[in-house]
Amino acid sequence: MIKNIYVIAEQRKGSLRDITWEAVAAGKKLATDLGAELTCVLLCGKGGLIAEQLAVEVPKVLLVENPVFESTNSEAVISTLKELIKPQGSYLVVMGASNSTLDFAPGLSVALDAALATDCFSLEVKDGRLLASRQIYSYKINSVVSFKNSDRVVLTLRAGSFQFSPAGEAKGTITNEPCPIDESKLRKRFIKYVEAEKGDVDVASADIIVSIGRGIGDEPDLEMFQSLADTMGGVLACSRPIVDKNLLPKYHQVGTSGIEVKPKVYLALGISGAFQHLGGIKGSPLLIAVNKDARAPIFRVANYGIVGDLNEVVPALEEKIKSLKG
Amino acid sequence: MNIIVCMKWIPDTSEADLTVAAGAKDIKKDDLDHDINDWDRFAVEEAVQIKEKVGGKVTVVCVAPEDSEETLRECLARGADEAFQVWSDEMEGGDGYCTASILAKFIKNRDFDLVLTGTLAEDDGAGQVGGMLAAMLDIPSSTLVSKIEIHDKKASFLRELEGGLYESVETDIPCLISVATGLNEPRFVSIRAVRKVASIDIPNMGIEELGMDAGQVGQAGARLVMEEVSLPPEGEGAEIIAGKPEESAARLAEILKEKGALG
Repeated sequence: MIKNIYVIAEQRKGSLRDITWEAVAAGKKLATDLGAELTCVLLCGKGGLIAEQLAVEVPKVLLVENPVFESTNSEAVISTLKELIKPQGSYLVVMGASNSTLDFAPGLSVALDAALATDCFSLEVKDGRLLASRQIYSYKINSVVSFKNSDRVVLTLRAGSFQFSPAGEAKGTITNEPCPIDESKLRKRFIKYVEAEKGDVDVASADIIVSIGRGIGDEPDLEMFQSLADTMGGVLACSRPIVDKNLLPKYHQVGTSGIEVKPKVYLALGISGAFQHLGGIKGSPLLIAVNKDARAPIFRVANYGIVGDLNEVVPALEEKIKSLKG
Repeated sequence: MNIIVCMKWIPDTSEADLTVAAGAKDIKKDDLDHDINDWDRFAVEEAVQIKEKVGGKVTVVCVAPEDSEETLRECLARGADEAFQVWSDEMEGGDGYCTASILAKFIKNRDFDLVLTGTLAEDDGAGQVGGMLAAMLDIPSSTLVSKIEIHDKKASFLRELEGGLYESVETDIPCLISVATGLNEPRFVSIRAVRKVASIDIPNMGIEELGMDAGQVGQAGARLVMEEVSLPPEGEGAEIIAGKPEESAARLAEILKEKGALG
């Protein structure tokens, strides 16, 4: 039986990332369901203030300070967490699914001799057994997995899936742990942060966004989509495959790896609705999807949808909008 | 520079209508086309481009049954020098941990400098095999990588973080790099290029050749147990505007007007 649950806090440039609180919420629930003890681990350059923020919500914070943790160096993180956690013998390690944890969670699971389930959107303890739900096959199918040996498990959690309500009364202890690694021996080195190139289109602050995705096909008529965006008084944006194919520059890309947008209207054309894309759409815009695949995940989150061929729907839509605008 | 690329052979589910197979442990795959995982196609291209710059050899390996041979041949046509198919019937039903263990066995006894993979596969979307494999080989690893430059015994590159932020990172070689999509433009494969590699032997290796036993692969070696797969519940989400294209488009335009979305 698992007696120890470790929530790995995620910080960037000295601030906690929001997803940490979702991991804390999931960790607390699991601690109750499994009768286990909850500990939050914070690896940080200087982490005193953040550790105090965490200690208000969790009973125990382990803090390891070292300049190497000013970024998330996967090699340093794996070695450190292994030293801290492995001696316990049995453990459940929980963290948010992010581009940083994607870099170390798989290696950590091997180092801890633990099973791994990534990007879980729901967790449940049933008859003492831990069950994790994930999306598979282009995010179109839900799967439930269990763990052959549930004494050692690492989980990463999808952002926006676990509700956190601050309780603010934990009065947790903060323990400074010595950093167990020799940073001069690391084979991986962080150099610096680099900002993406800025473009002539400001997608981030646009109120109306016409966004295109893989479903526009291999030889798309980009003019048709730009023209619709212009008629609507909006800007043209896209999902990752469009940038990968060099159809539009990176500064048009909406998503967790691209630009976060907060429009009033988001018209998704040929966008399947992968989590990484939807993660970049904040606020609650009027979300409209046009896609020829009736099962596309985008239809589960959109307000309105049309199942159909873009080459027929888009010109008809633009024409009607023109006539309505008079 | 000896480069090993791990390629995954997956069913193309992006635009297919999916149904759950009897027993609800997987989807029905018989009618689905299979292809190279899109992320891995970028890894193959990157390996070939590095080879073209600094010299060396590109080896592609795929843990999948016989039907995957065509995709391995495509990798040869894309410029890889050799390709291996790794499969035994016992490997059926394995998880990412099994795949990483198998690849580690395949790679351990070879002379290599770089291991390249895609960061994610579009079938299980777990993003786990690269990092697990690197840990098993005891080499540093990085995910979501673009702009790779190889110097003397070092690789430097960018890693994608959130919100348009990247980190510039350097690692010693040997290392494992899981690439991001879009870091290069995978070349067009002509029929002539495919013909040129038609006679290259693609060896198959099974658990015996790898020195593994049946308990380490397939369901026996897996750490995860698939309990159930299901289609997400219907009736959630969008109000679908039905009708002919011009009718539904017209109705949508009216909705936009009603909601004040036309300025």
